[in-house]
Amino acid sequence: MRLYALFVYVFLYLPIAVIAIFSLNAGRHASQFTGFSTQWYAKALSNPFVMEALWTSFVVALCSAIIASIFGTMAALGLQGMKGRVRVLADALIYVAVMVPGIVIGIATLIALVTLFGWINPLLALLAPEGRAPQLAMGYGSLIAAHALFSMSLVIIILRARLAGMDRSLMEASADLYAPPLATFRQVTLPLIFPGILAGFLLSFTFSFDDFIIAFFVAGSETTLPIYVFSSIRRGVTPEINAIGTMVLAVSLLLLIVAQLILRSGTRKGGR
Amino acid sequence: MQRRLSTWLLLAPAGLWFAVMLVLPLCFVLVFSFGQREAAGGYVPAFTFEQYANLPARWTAFRNTLTLAPLGTILSLLIAYPLAYFLAMRADPKWRTMLLILVIVPFWTSILIRSYAWIFILGGQGLPALVDWLGFGSIRLINTPFAVLTGIVYGYLPLMVLPVYVSLERLDKRLLEASADLGAPPLQSFLQITLPLSLPGVATGCMLVFILLMGEFLIPAMLGGGKVFFIGNALVDLFLQSRNWAFGAAVAVTLVAIMLVTVTLYMSLMRRLGGAREDVSLM
Amino acid sequence: MSDKIDHISRQKFMEELRRYQKGSVSRRHFLGVTGLGAAAAALGAAMPALLPRPAFAQANIGDRVILATWPNYHDPANFDAFAAETGAAVQMNVFGSNEEMLAKLQAGGSGWDVFIPTNYTISTYVEQDLIEPLDLSLIPNYDGVSFDQRFAGPGTIDGKVYAVPKNWGTTGFAVNTNNTGGTTPTTWKEFWDLTQTTFSGRTMVHDYQLTTIGNALKYFGYSFNSIDTAELADAEKLLMACKPHLFAISSDYQPSMRSGDAWMTICWTGDGKQMNRDMPEIVYVLGKEGGELWSDFYAIPKGAPHRDAAYALINFLLTPDINAKEVLFHGYPVADSRVNALLPPEVLNDPILYPAADLLSALEFGAAATLTDPNRAELMARFKSA
Repeated sequence: MRLYALFVYVFLYLPIAVIAIFSLNAGRHASQFTGFSTQWYAKALSNPFVMEALWTSFVVALCSAIIASIFGTMAALGLQGMKGRVRVLADALIYVAVMVPGIVIGIATLIALVTLFGWINPLLALLAPEGRAPQLAMGYGSLIAAHALFSMSLVIIILRARLAGMDRSLMEASADLYAPPLATFRQVTLPLIFPGILAGFLLSFTFSFDDFIIAFFVAGSETTLPIYVFSSIRRGVTPEINAIGTMVLAVSLLLLIVAQLILRSGTRKGGR
Repeated sequence: MQRRLSTWLLLAPAGLWFAVMLVLPLCFVLVFSFGQREAAGGYVPAFTFEQYANLPARWTAFRNTLTLAPLGTILSLLIAYPLAYFLAMRADPKWRTMLLILVIVPFWTSILIRSYAWIFILGGQGLPALVDWLGFGSIRLINTPFAVLTGIVYGYLPLMVLPVYVSLERLDKRLLEASADLGAPPLQSFLQITLPLSLPGVATGCMLVFILLMGEFLIPAMLGGGKVFFIGNALVDLFLQSRNWAFGAAVAVTLVAIMLVTVTLYMSLMRRLGGAREDVSLM
Repeated sequence: MSDKIDHISRQKFMEELRRYQKGSVSRRHFLGVTGLGAAAAALGAAMPALLPRPAFAQANIGDRVILATWPNYHDPANFDAFAAETGAAVQMNVFGSNEEMLAKLQAGGSGWDVFIPTNYTISTYVEQDLIEPLDLSLIPNYDGVSFDQRFAGPGTIDGKVYAVPKNWGTTGFAVNTNNTGGTTPTTWKEFWDLTQTTFSGRTMVHDYQLTTIGNALKYFGYSFNSIDTAELADAEKLLMACKPHLFAISSDYQPSMRSGDAWMTICWTGDGKQMNRDMPEIVYVLGKEGGELWSDFYAIPKGAPHRDAAYALINFLLTPDINAKEVLFHGYPVADSRVNALLPPEVLNDPILYPAADLLSALEFGAAATLTDPNRAELMARFKSA
């Protein structure tokens, strides 16, 4: 049994080890190890396009995670204890958002936005005849909006589980003591669900940061890090990709550990 | 009255978001699927069932997806179950959380980069070279269904381990002790107590993995060498190579329809078998 | 990317270039260290390399230019030199097919400044209103007279120049002769037959329809450009029969060919040259039945975000001595007589770059109708998803 578990762990971590080892390869061909060097890290870090892709990914992940956390939390609170048609509709929408494959979401968003922009842009041009009309295009906006959709569903699902397990009597007590709703929220509800929000935020961030397939369709002229890595792989395999990969893995790992710690400390305090 | 207003205000932003970024795009796809291809590629509005009539041309992609997705799901389960069992029942409690986190970590890291690693391992200078060196003759792994399946199992294993672990861990251990006290051999206890009680976790894990596999594009693209085609690959090809948006939309609609039907059937089946009612939480 | 040309690292090159520009090292030292001295010698005495070029009129062209191009198609050192000269770094997006480039431009918001369409696509881009006529006053290094019209002609439509020629080439196949038992196949018939027999699991084809279908048509002796449904049906039958025997369907075949995973692939001139240069056992073959002759161009899409930098980059890459360095790297022939004057005779006599007349005369240029034909697109999509 223990041997089996060990075997599975090797299976899980062997590829990651391979990436990390070859990122330290001195030669430029990724398939043969010719010596030890950290030059590819220096190369990746001094490559302006890697840095820019990293920045794009970071901004998109941060914005979409913030939007998803705020609106997702609001929606989860709004849905709390709700029944009837609205609830059914909301459940269906969340269910669809999580279930429809990313590839279909990406394509659908592309089709819809390109068509919409095709209608709106001439109108904008008419409204500003000096020829300085802002033109809508795929880019940061579409990326953030598409990622926020999935993340929002994630946040709502996490928070709903948390709100369901929460002691409602606390909130009722607060209301009985004539605390205004906002004060109840700030002093009772928020501290209780905050670990959930934070975990949702971090998961949203990680999802957006790693997403390739949706971004592939809706990024327009922007290049996120996964898109950069994908096109680098097509350009031929070099240890630079391994170096980028190792760094990305390290950052994801860090975020995860933080998320895990927060979630656990929250569980202990919240007492579920 | 005030409470209703505040509820609506709370729901409004998310509602608007879902309307614009989910409902509207899906409607567009539906509309496009009845259209036609523009001569040089793109979309011309029309109302025709031509695209749906052409669906059999992608039969192989559908078949690949509908065989490799369940197969990948079952393989993941077969590999994940013993590990989850070990973690929940046999592992030293001191290390349990750590070991569990070690399983989850890879899932939340880039699947792109993890699949990329398999290009090395399965490529001619990786595992096949080792096999050859050991004297077992030359084999070819990369760009085969086997490579794609390996990538799939690797990519989604953590997603399977977690729900199974949760259901096993919640299992009342006293039941097993009672069974042992009554003289049941371990295998019988496992089959009659552990396995049935862990089914909700198995159901959740299978559903999660299956859903993700149905829309898979990256793993076949990277490890299949353009030879092992999933519907996801056919979709990318239709939009980014042959520029047939109308047909692509029809394929997308069909994919979503298949998923809605399978998942709904599966969930009602599982519900009837008693369980799997809890919300799915990925962490 | 070949190691041979890249004698010193790019970074080192840049440092040296900067030192040279600042005057802290002599030109001789610079040429010696960077290995450009040897290249310069090979290029002959007439080479005007590293003479001060007229400064670019637009002092500030921005800090970047985005180039959509093909695999293994540029000497990275030239991009570094461009960045040093103008301050604009070049970002490469690598594509596998003209169809993919067209799809990306049709979807809008590609964000490219320069891209590299092939001869048969240009009329479609013009019809679809996706590219703009070039302002030749911004490309002083383009000298129409010095270009062979056969390869430069498709860039001009209705008297307007929409694209200027980069280089031309052929589409044949590359085969690793270590695996053929000493003989070298010479026809497309052998290519497809080997694929289904001794080379099973070892052959690669391009992942776009024009060449893959075109060269399957050649098996039957049909035109490379055929859009005849009966002939396409024959090609489909052949392709479907070969599908299980393929190693991969991909336009980036160098890594697999070099690692020995793949033994044979449909191949462009320059990739054939690059592989042959490093691994002489990989040879480049033009099928006797014919195949494709093509010419690639630089063009600027409508709404390019860094238009000034786009013109500057095209102008820079068309500078004869820079273009000559590109040729030495990528191994494709150019149609510019000024560049040919700078190339060493062994390049000009290379049978990979300049095939024998009888092989060349059998080749066909791809046609616009071949690119946009819906049946060919759907056939390829069926083949890939089969």
